[in-house]
Formats: sequence, structure tokens, C-alpha cells
Amino acid sequence: MNPDPPPCMTRRQFLLKMGAGAAGTVVAVRLGDLFVGRVLAQDAGRTVRLAAYPRRRIGSLSALQVDTPVEFSYPGDDPLHKSYLVKLGRRAGGGIGPGQDVVAFNTFCTHQGGPLAGVYQARHKVLGPCPLHLTTFDLTRHGMVVAGHATENLPQVVLEAEGDDIHATGVMGLIYGHDRNIR
Amino acid sequence: MTGTSDKRSLSRREFLRWGAAAAAVATLSLPALGQVARSPPPAPKSGVGGDYAPGDSAPLPPPDAKVYTTACDYCIVGCGYKAYVWPEGKEGGPKADQNAFGVDFPRPVLGGKWVSDNQHNLCLVDGKKHHVAVVPDADTQVVNRGGNHSIRGGCIALKVYNPEGPTRDRLKEPLLRVNGELVPVSWDLALDIMADVSKHVLQKHGAAAWGMKTYSYQYFENTYAISKLAFESIGTPAYAPHDKPGPGNDAAGLDDAGIDSFGASYEDWSLAEVAFVSGTDPFETKTVLFTEWMMKGRTKIISVLPRRTTGVAWAEKNGGLFLQVIPGTDTLLHLAIARLILENGWEDREFIEKWVANPWEIDAGMGRGTRNTPWQWRTTWGKLGTDFAGYKKWLLSYPFAELSKASDITGVPADKIRRAAEMLAKPVNGRAPKASFMLEKGNYWSNNYLNSASLASLALLCGAGNRPGRVVSRGGGHQRGWYGAAPYPIAASPEKYPGRRRKEIDLDRWVEAGKLRFAWVIGTTWIQAMAASQELEKTFRRLTRESPHQIPEATREAAVAALKKRVDSGGMVVVVQDIYLQSPIGGEFADLVLPAATWGEEDFSRCNGERRLRLYSKFCDPPGQAKPDWWIISRFARKMGFKDYDWKDSNDVFEKAARFGRGDVLNYHPLVVHAKRQGKRGHEVLREMGTTGIQTPIRLVDGKPVGTKRLHDPDLDLGPPVGATVHSKWLTAFNTHSGKAILHKTPWDLFSDFYERITPRDGELWVTNGRINEIWQTAFDDKRRPYIMQRWPDNFVEIHPEDAKKYGIESGDTVRIENDDVLIQTGGFIGVEDDDLSFTKLQKAGHIRVGSGTCEAVAIVTDAVRRGVLFTYSFWTGSPANSLVHRVPDPITNRYRFKLGKGRIRKTGESPYKADFRRMSFAPRTLV
Repeated sequence: MNPDPPPCMTRRQFLLKMGAGAAGTVVAVRLGDLFVGRVLAQDAGRTVRLAAYPRRRIGSLSALQVDTPVEFSYPGDDPLHKSYLVKLGRRAGGGIGPGQDVVAFNTFCTHQGGPLAGVYQARHKVLGPCPLHLTTFDLTRHGMVVAGHATENLPQVVLEAEGDDIHATGVMGLIYGHDRNIR
Repeated sequence: MTGTSDKRSLSRREFLRWGAAAAAVATLSLPALGQVARSPPPAPKSGVGGDYAPGDSAPLPPPDAKVYTTACDYCIVGCGYKAYVWPEGKEGGPKADQNAFGVDFPRPVLGGKWVSDNQHNLCLVDGKKHHVAVVPDADTQVVNRGGNHSIRGGCIALKVYNPEGPTRDRLKEPLLRVNGELVPVSWDLALDIMADVSKHVLQKHGAAAWGMKTYSYQYFENTYAISKLAFESIGTPAYAPHDKPGPGNDAAGLDDAGIDSFGASYEDWSLAEVAFVSGTDPFETKTVLFTEWMMKGRTKIISVLPRRTTGVAWAEKNGGLFLQVIPGTDTLLHLAIARLILENGWEDREFIEKWVANPWEIDAGMGRGTRNTPWQWRTTWGKLGTDFAGYKKWLLSYPFAELSKASDITGVPADKIRRAAEMLAKPVNGRAPKASFMLEKGNYWSNNYLNSASLASLALLCGAGNRPGRVVSRGGGHQRGWYGAAPYPIAASPEKYPGRRRKEIDLDRWVEAGKLRFAWVIGTTWIQAMAASQELEKTFRRLTRESPHQIPEATREAAVAALKKRVDSGGMVVVVQDIYLQSPIGGEFADLVLPAATWGEEDFSRCNGERRLRLYSKFCDPPGQAKPDWWIISRFARKMGFKDYDWKDSNDVFEKAARFGRGDVLNYHPLVVHAKRQGKRGHEVLREMGTTGIQTPIRLVDGKPVGTKRLHDPDLDLGPPVGATVHSKWLTAFNTHSGKAILHKTPWDLFSDFYERITPRDGELWVTNGRINEIWQTAFDDKRRPYIMQRWPDNFVEIHPEDAKKYGIESGDTVRIENDDVLIQTGGFIGVEDDDLSFTKLQKAGHIRVGSGTCEAVAIVTDAVRRGVLFTYSFWTGSPANSLVHRVPDPITNRYRFKLGKGRIRKTGESPYKADFRRMSFAPRTLV
């Protein structure tokens, strides 16, 4: 029903190709390069500004145990950058590893910033309820709100596996309290 | 980078909103980063905004951004918000002196003043592109203290008209249906056609053939204009608000007890020690009332619902109780609890002695007393009203109030009913607990009069109704935005109670009877909002599109001639006024479609659920030629030759309307008087009050406007009435002739004949419905929010695992629910003998026909819902749950039993969401 999309580069692939990656830099890219074959002709030359996230090793696949979150900080060291790396034991959107079940998320509620570290619900692969107002997020669904008040998904840390190593390479979604995730 | 202007480049979010041609948005949305790109899922069926692509930045308002105060457009709570507007090409920075908030970024936990990705949009101001950020007011001390918010209001920036965003399909110009197609016409032509046809209908078919079906709440300025036109100028009885078949009380049992439906203050819910919450979960539907006031108090919550929700689960975990009632049986639950209280002597005797009417007080009073009042007509000529002794005697001997019997019928275990009685009334250390009572549609839209009246009686036994933390109130759905310019002309209504008193019309039955020839529909889908929706749709189609008389060309003469022929041959002309084209009422049936301006596009005023009046500021342009509803009505009225519609602006309407509210609960007249004395406009004074506003009724004390925190409060020191101040008795006493509350007997047999007939049988299940947190009303705004549509791309139905197993259904399956036994009342407008309007008599008289309805949804298997009961969203317009609901109103109040649908469920296939990581979550909503 849906024809295969034209060849397309993911943003991460693009950034790798460009050699961008120094933390804090923002690069200007042409839409035509970013979405090859997927941009209207008149927009192909337009420029988009994209933040270039640091690529940082945050753990290894073999060290992860199912349903045991591991804390790390990303993209920087701001207290609000505290994130969870977790092997869900179930396929998930954005999951890496053989089971596509390893995901990572920021741990501050995108409602009013309540701390979500410590409230992982293994049975349902949900982070929450937020101790402030009870919002819950589905970690198999890119951090979608299950119930509650957040006006964004829980920001998902983009992961990449290189052998056994797990690298964080970006953040999808705006981290609570920020106007930009990185500068 | 920051604090600078950079017009040449776009942030990723800006690109997604503006950069590409609008139609390409879905194509351009980023695949989940880090994943191999693969075939995108099909576009959501219902959404029009494309896939959700989270952004990782949001622009900050620069220091010179314009700041407007407003309140949320959506639920009853009406949280305070601020809109920051600044021209395209500028952006604020993260240092306190670089942004309009005056704070450093990143913001701390609970710091507020943060703009999330979905709190920013682009809009037009004087035709030029501007940024707008709409964020909860973090400085407010009322309602959403500290900037709390719901997901609905939190995303309200996305409501704004953005000509290149998902809201681009707003109605922009008047449309006329010519040869079946809607074509743009001028305001003048549209209003000329309406006026010509209206004059003809009024002259030839009478005022009752000219009707309106409108929202009751979308701002005082507009509802004043609506009521002035319908009731004063036209004088039609053919009027119904959006949520019921005719005007009148929502929860009449409360009113008859003398309790105003919105007498409480939000603080009361944090002062209560126990709250009996019936037919609603405030977490889902009045979110900030729950998260800011109920959760933060020490209130233990008794929840009465057929379905466990987030708020219910939290209540259970925090000392509360869940009474998982079988739909429609609340009255017996109330009676059983009340009886246990009386049997144990736990009633609040001191309160009852002082505040519950004795027989003389029920009947007495100045002038006519309670005789010949709606109370008396409704309560079968006073037979239900009684004093405490009479109530006690009746209840203790009434078989249906007996614990085991009530437990059987309600499905609530006896020990839980007993526990509820203890929590509500058993004295602790010699003192009765502070109990408050909340009810909402699950209660009064399943058995309207008996449920609300029996709850009021139970509350009064517990000493609730007029004290801090001891209140009785509706929770509320939408905000309170009705300002009546004239009373409903009830003497002209075609409906009558037994005896000689008229009652308000059931407009749907009036349409079905072919009596309505001209219908002006404002801001409601009408068909999906009312019971037996698909049957109603057939009627509309027959009266409009299937009429041979259609408009052949876009001229006044041709249109008027065709429409006159239609109405004279028994057909109906439909005019729809809205912000989006809704189907089928607008998309299929309307002959004329008028574009309305809405929230943020005009200065409006309204009250929330604690009667808090605020100004909802204009901060951007309406689309195209869209106009506020008051303007459209004024221009129509002038063409009709009606007087006093020459309003200059919305403030003018606000000030003119003020004097019609004197003596009412929403009275703001003293504020306007005060403003004039200061040489200011009414709206201006209200704007100065910001998001705090003022609680109505407003009084003048020492020359200044003062609000009213709570109604019926005997401790309120009014002092002498000064100037424009009106001291109504219900400010310090109950709203009855004696000032004392009235207890009502609520015999089950006034309902049981209907209830037994509609109880599911032979493979049928109850199908009840309600709101959920993430969606407002028909999702008319949410459908244009990719963020919300990823969560709910389709309607859903919750089914208990045992029922699911029986019918071979699992989560993610698509299902069809069919009801081939939808009961519909036809005729029966006039009652003569005592029980003429009872279901049994209506059926005997041939006034009940059987229709059918279907509803499709995606199944969610969960033990949160009671076995034997399905729960689905109330207002999913593509597949309305109300199709399964009987259109037989409560004969006492003419209110539908929307929550008591039924049907057979079967699997039809598998939804794409079963194997989709981007849309719909099947995780439980009860994790607390």
C-alpha cells in the first residue's frame, strides 16, 4: 500500500557523514542533503539548523540486565540531563541490540520536571508515575504519554550499537526546562 | 546564537511547521532517529496534522514580546495562561535579561516559565507572521497555582490559527451549498439568504419552526447574543444547548434540594476530609482541580464509576475507596449508604435541625411558596419532597435501600457500601468527618433526576452543602459561559408535564416530528452529540439533502426560492457556524456554513467551575473573514429588523449583557458599574485582574468589586447592600423559599421500567462512555495536534479480559459494537394523567420505536473496566458512541441517559497499532 520511500538518510547518518559531532555546535544543512529525494524541489536548497550532539559511550549491551535501568548523563552534565539506559526485554521504538529492546530516556517529566528516576515499572515498560502529578510514559513507544499532563513525549536518547558498546548520539525531544538541549 | 535575529535559517521545528509546503509535512517528518528508515506507517485516519516529530528546541520570547493574560479554552477548571507574542525573525535568549520571562534557562523542577515544543506556534497579527508561546501562568496564586496544567491546556498554543500549520483548514469565509457543493459567498449574501428564509418560516410556520442548537458556554458575549436573538427577538421555544435536547437544569435533583451546582470553591476540595466523587474522575476531566487541590489536600476520595482510572487508582492507594458500580444504579447506592448512616445514627443532627426544611418550610414562603414551581412539577406535585422524619421513615422501610438488595443491583460489595457510610459519616473522636460531594455526567447522565436528587439527600444527611470543606457541587465539564438576555419562552413550548405546566422542548424529537424548518447550529456537531446519533443522522439527511429543493445557483433569489420550497414541503434548512467544518452537520447537511472567530481572536469573558471570571484576551488574527459569533448574530438581527444589536465591539456586548445577570450566580454587573465610575471599560478592569480574575457573584464593598468564594455560606458577612450590589438569599442560605435545603425521596420505580427494558441481554454488554484526559470534546483541536494523534489515532473501547476472551478479542484488534435495539421516543409531548410520560405508558401509547446504531473502535483489554461493561470515548465524531444510546429522555427532566448504551461486540480485524511503535499505547492508565 505504501511504496518504499525514496533513499533517505537519517539525521544521525547525515551528521556522521558531515563529520559534525563536537558538542554544542549547530550546523547548517541543506534540506536536499538531509532528506535525499524527499524534499519538494523548491525546498531542496533551503537551510536547516541542526544541533550536533556529542557521541558518547554510555555502556555495553552485555552488561545490561533486563528491567534494570542504568543511569547516565546526556547530552551534558546538567542535573536535568540525568537519563536512563534500560533493556526492556521487549522490542521498542528506537531500540538497539539483537532484540531491539535497549532504549534510553531522559528522566525528568516533561510536565513540570518531576524526577522519574526510580519509578520504572518493569511489567508494563512504563516510566512513572511522576511523583508530582502522576504522568506515565511508555518506553516502548518513544516515551509517549500513557496518562497525564506532559506536553511532549519523554525525550528519547538516540542510541547506536558498535559491537558491544552503546553510544548516545542525540536526543529526540526537548528536555524539561530547556529552550535547547545543547548550545 | 541566542538573543539574535536570524531570518535565513530555520530551526528544525520551524522547518517542520513552516518550511515545506503544508501537504508535505507528513512526508518530511523525521523517522525515529537512530533507526533504519523504513516504510512510514499510514497517516493517522483522524488526524490532519501529519506524524508527530518531536523537536529539540523551542524559541523563547524576547524581552519585548507582548504579553496577554488569558485562561484555557477547554475544561471547567479554566487554568490561567499567558500568551507571549513577538514578530517572526526575533528570538529571546537563555539569560534572564534576554527573555520575556526574566529568568535564566534551563529552568528548575517546578520552576514554570518553560516553553515546551508544543507550547509554541506561529500566528498572524495584523496579517504578519508572529511567534506565539502560550504557557501556564507560573505566578498565579489561584486555580493552577505555580503554573500547573493539563495536557489539553498545555498544548493550547497549537489551537492558534497558523495558515501553514495543521490548523490551516479553519473556516475562512461563508459557504453556500450550491448543487451539493459548498462555494464561497459574501457575508452579505449569506445573511440575506438567512434573513429572507427566516422571515418566511416565522410568518408561515411560526416561531417554533425556527430553531437554534448552540453551545451554552463559548463566552458571555456570544451566548448573550444567542439568547437575545432566540428568546427575545424571535421568541422561539425551539432551542437546545449542545449537550442536551432542551434548556433547563443539568442536575435538577441538586437544584431542587436548594444547592447550586457550582457553589463550591476549589479550596473546598482540599479542605474536605472525605470526598464522594460520583460519575467522574477529576484527574481525567478536571485535571488541575485534582492534581492541584484534591491531591495536595488530605482528602480521601470515594470514587463511584464502572471503570478504574488514574485518579481512582491513586485514590485507592491513598486511603480512598472504589465503588465499581453497574451503570445506572447509583440511586440505590446512595440510598443504601444513607440508610446505613441513619441506622447507625451518624447523620449530622445539628446541621439537619438548622438547615433541612420541615413540612411548613417546604410549603411556606412569601407569595406562592414552592407551589407551582419547577420543583413541584418535577417532583410529581411535591410528592417527593419531605422533611427529615419523613425521609427517615421512608428510607428505613424502603426495600430497595436495604443493603443486600442494593448490593445485588449495584454490583458493589456490601462491605464496601458499609465502608463508604463509615468514611462519610461515622464520627471520629466525637466529630463527623468533613465530607464533600461531587457529581458529574456518569451520575446525572445515567439516571438524571433520581441520581442527582438522591445524592443531594445523602450529602445533606452528612452535613454537606454550605460550609468550608463540606460542599456539594458538580465537577463540571466545560466552563460556565451562558449569559441569558431573556428567559426561555416556556409558555410557547410544545411540551407539558401532567397537570397544566409546560416544560422545555426536546428539540431532537421536534426535528424528528418534522416540526423544525430552519435550524441554526453554532459550535456543536448536534448529531454525534445527541442520543441515537445514526438515527438522527438519517432524519437530517431526509429533511435536507434528500429534499428535491436544492440551491441551483449562488444568487439570493435562486437560493431563497429553493429553500422556501423546501421548508414549505416539510423539509429543513440548516445553517452551521463553527471554526472547522464538522461532518455530517456542516460537511453534508448545511446549506450555509459561517466561519467563526474563537479563543485568542477576540476579547471574551467567562467563568470557571468556581465562578471565577477572567478576560480571555485577543492576541492574534482570526482566519480570513471569520467573525465572532456575537458579530454574526448582530448582523443577521439587523437584517431581520430587530433592535438593539448595534454593538460596537465585544466589550460593548459584555457591558450591555451585565444588567441581565443581576441577581444570578454569574452576576458581574457591579464590576461594570465600578469600571464606568473609573472611566474604564468593563473588559479593561477585568484585564487588570489578569489570570486571578474575580469570583462571581460580584459585590461592591467600600466601592470596590469583591468576589464570592462559596455560595450558601452562612458565615459570609455581606454587610448592607451598596449601590449595584444584589444580596440574594442563596449567598448565605440554600436556594429555596425558606433558605433551608429539601430532602427528596427517590423511588426506584420512577426509573425501573425503563432500566429493566434497556438492561443488556442475549450477548449484549453495557456500553458506557466518557471523556479522557488527552482529548477535549470532539477532538476538534486535538485532531490537528500530531502529538495527541500519536496517542489516540483512533477511538478505543475498553473491555474486561473475561469478556474479551469470550468474544476472541485482544488489545489492538478493531471491533464493531452493534445495537439493533436503540429505543427512540416519538411524540409524547404532552402529559395529562399522572404517569402519562412514564416509559411504560409511552410504550403502550406507541411512542417508542426501535432503531439501530453501530460504533467502531480499537480494543484495549483491561481489568480496569467492569465485567459486562464496555467503555469508549464519548465524542469520537467518526464513530459516535451515542449511536448506541437510547433517545428516551428522563420524563422528569427531559435529559438523556447518555451513559446507558448497550450492544454486541465482535472483532473485525487488527489495527495497525498492534505493531506500531509510534501510535497508540496499550499500557494501563492506572499505574500510580
